[in-house]
Amino acid sequence: MPVDSLALQLQEVTKRYGDFTAVNGLSLSVPPGCIFGFLGPNGAGKTTSIRMILEIIKPTSGSVTVLGSPSALAVRKRIGYLPEEKGLYKKMKAWAIIAYFATLKGIDSRTAKKRAFELLERYGLGAFAEKKSETLSKGMGQKVQLLAALAHDPEFVILDEPFSGLDPVNQEVLEEIVVDLRRRGRTVLFSTHVMSHAERLCDRLSIMAGGRKIFEGTPAEARAMLPPRVRLRTTHSVAPLRQLPGVTTVRQLPDGAWELQLATGTDPQGILQACFDQRLVLSAFSAEAPALHDVFVHLVGDEAREVKLR
Amino acid sequence: MLHIAFLVAAREYLENLKTKGFWMGIIFFPLIWTLAIKIPVLIEKKGVPTRYFVVTDPSGKWKALIDREVDRRHQREVLDELVSHARRHLKRPADRADWLDHWSTTTALDEFIEKGGQTGFLKELDGLFEAGTAEFVEPRRHFQRTELPSEVTEEPRNTLIDRLRPWLKGDQKLQIQGEPVGLFAAVIIPELVREAPKNSTKASDKNSNEGNIQFWSDNLADPALEQLISETVGRELRSAAYQARGMNQSAVQEIEAIRVPLVSLNPRKAAGEERVGLGDRIRQWIPSAFVYLLWVAVFVSSQMLLTSVIEEKSNRIIEVLLSSVTPEELMTGKLFGIALTGLTMLFLWIASAMGVLYLNTSKGSVAGTAENIPVDLLNLLQTTWLLPAFLGYFILGFLVFATFFLAMGSTCNTLKEAQNMMGIVMPVLIVPLLTIPFIPRDPNGTLARVLSWIPPFTPFVMMNRVTGHPPLIDVVGTLLLLGGFVAFEVWAAARIFRVGVLRTGQPPKWLEMARWLRSGA
Repeated sequence: MPVDSLALQLQEVTKRYGDFTAVNGLSLSVPPGCIFGFLGPNGAGKTTSIRMILEIIKPTSGSVTVLGSPSALAVRKRIGYLPEEKGLYKKMKAWAIIAYFATLKGIDSRTAKKRAFELLERYGLGAFAEKKSETLSKGMGQKVQLLAALAHDPEFVILDEPFSGLDPVNQEVLEEIVVDLRRRGRTVLFSTHVMSHAERLCDRLSIMAGGRKIFEGTPAEARAMLPPRVRLRTTHSVAPLRQLPGVTTVRQLPDGAWELQLATGTDPQGILQACFDQRLVLSAFSAEAPALHDVFVHLVGDEAREVKLR
Repeated sequence: MLHIAFLVAAREYLENLKTKGFWMGIIFFPLIWTLAIKIPVLIEKKGVPTRYFVVTDPSGKWKALIDREVDRRHQREVLDELVSHARRHLKRPADRADWLDHWSTTTALDEFIEKGGQTGFLKELDGLFEAGTAEFVEPRRHFQRTELPSEVTEEPRNTLIDRLRPWLKGDQKLQIQGEPVGLFAAVIIPELVREAPKNSTKASDKNSNEGNIQFWSDNLADPALEQLISETVGRELRSAAYQARGMNQSAVQEIEAIRVPLVSLNPRKAAGEERVGLGDRIRQWIPSAFVYLLWVAVFVSSQMLLTSVIEEKSNRIIEVLLSSVTPEELMTGKLFGIALTGLTMLFLWIASAMGVLYLNTSKGSVAGTAENIPVDLLNLLQTTWLLPAFLGYFILGFLVFATFFLAMGSTCNTLKEAQNMMGIVMPVLIVPLLTIPFIPRDPNGTLARVLSWIPPFTPFVMMNRVTGHPPLIDVVGTLLLLGGFVAFEVWAAARIFRVGVLRTGQPPKWLEMARWLRSGA
């Protein structure tokens, strides 16, 4: 896909702070009209990358192209951004905050005010439009901030950890908003470390750890990185199963079930057949494609733990 | 660029206008103005009690003279009060304007006393007052001579003061109409008052009190009585000396009444208009007033600026802002917004000061000569380049400090950190405040000229010098220097701001900030 038709392209982007390399040679391509998940453990360099995409900070090296422009600020009116750390002007009213950010994005003030009230009404905050933001709950405030990021109807929406701090109901509302944006042809890039959202929403995703990209592709491609597995419960010995062709490892899970990892291309049906042949009494048997969560843990588990211990 | 900066400025301005602090400042200032005018008058009228003093005078001729002078001064005050009472409460004061005006001359006092004082004055105006006018209350006497306390004997004279000491120190009280009151002063006049050599009202021989009038009082703050006695006795001694030399008493009085017809003229003004009027005098002090206003405005708005930057930083709003606006736009907008706030505040202050002056002068409670200060002020501001100069120096001076505070604020995460930084800047801000009274006295002196060339002081000092006709080189040179300095500051602040606003954790060291300036990253 040519660069200027991509919503976003990063080429070998690196950001160093002194000796510390926050982002190391990151390359990404986000096609327009898709939902792009930006995954990684804490400290992976997601927020730094997003700040570089938005030109809030400049990369040490490499190039960023947003909506065909080398400068995000040049196309800022077409971009909406919700930062990771949420905050609002405490003394300003909810509608005024949304309207203010919309005017900064080039909407005239009358339209901005009208749109602010519409959005608050549509997302169930109509009664709070005239309230000062300091009186809103955290979740409401976050919603107001999201609406502020969307009020100018941007083509490209960047959401940094949008789900954190929201209750399950509002997480669902947010998912609907994101899906709706895609339906209307907008591009959404969001970062998260919660895999379930990514699993449900993303058309494409990238996984980062320690400042490097370790995966980019579709969720299916991500899942294909892990070998197929079967899970079973039995009171009998599973020793005979270890000998089967295509079984790479066998381990007992903390809940007592057994997990067999299979070589790529192995049919789980054959394992079930073998269990019958060996007369193993099964109380449960399941063959599942690995979840994104497993891929994530598989890819970045060690790194994430390392980060946590640091 | 400017459109966005304008949006930022508009928000900043409107939000500042909504804060309590802004309106408190607006109300507080005229309140201070009013109190500054009213309180001294009130204290004068109500606060200072009548002060009692004793006089020992073996010759017997001085007591009466002193009493007469004390009374004349009191009558002068009664007369002034009566005139202003009449101006306020006559039905048609214009009808009696000439009559009221004529009391302000020095000779009018004798006429007043001759015509029966207060009673005579009020009789003259009987029936001319508005209905419901309150009875005129005679002002309290400032000084009143009283007799020695009954416990104290006048003899022996040389130890009299030791016997009076407990009263003078306040350990013992006089009984005046059943009320205990303190003794303010004791005046001990010798039998023969020695004439001091000319050019000295004090005795030349400090070791000897012989022949001197002794004025004993532990209140050194009020010299009025001391002066009164010295003048009264001096006048009498001079009069006696004239007589002793056989001079004609009335001729002497005529000669003494000669006044020097001195008028102050200003060589810079056009022929025919050289006379120094009230407007010129106002012009002498108004720059100082402006400097003070500038200082207060800088101080108050710098606080607003710090608060505003730190709110955006600590709430992380800054990130959303910086995805929508460049740091330069954000900074420009903030500077504009705060400058506008400062100007609004100044405008309201000046307007309220004018209002206070107007209200007070029209009621006649400020000395008669100040009758039309607000009008004079307005004329002055319209006809001279004082106002443009003030606006210019205000904006530049404001930028010097606001830019600095903005850059500092951008590196801090909490107000506390910012206040620590303020500590470093405060001495710089104090200097112009301290120099306010000195600059106009010698507007082209070394101190004034040197300070003018130090950019943070330039606006304050040059503002204070504008009416002193500073040399052109100073005006143009310092303006260029100041402009250059502001330009450099804005550039440096933008660099620091860009890095500072996204930074969390400890505020940076000065050296680190210098590095930001070099690298711009």
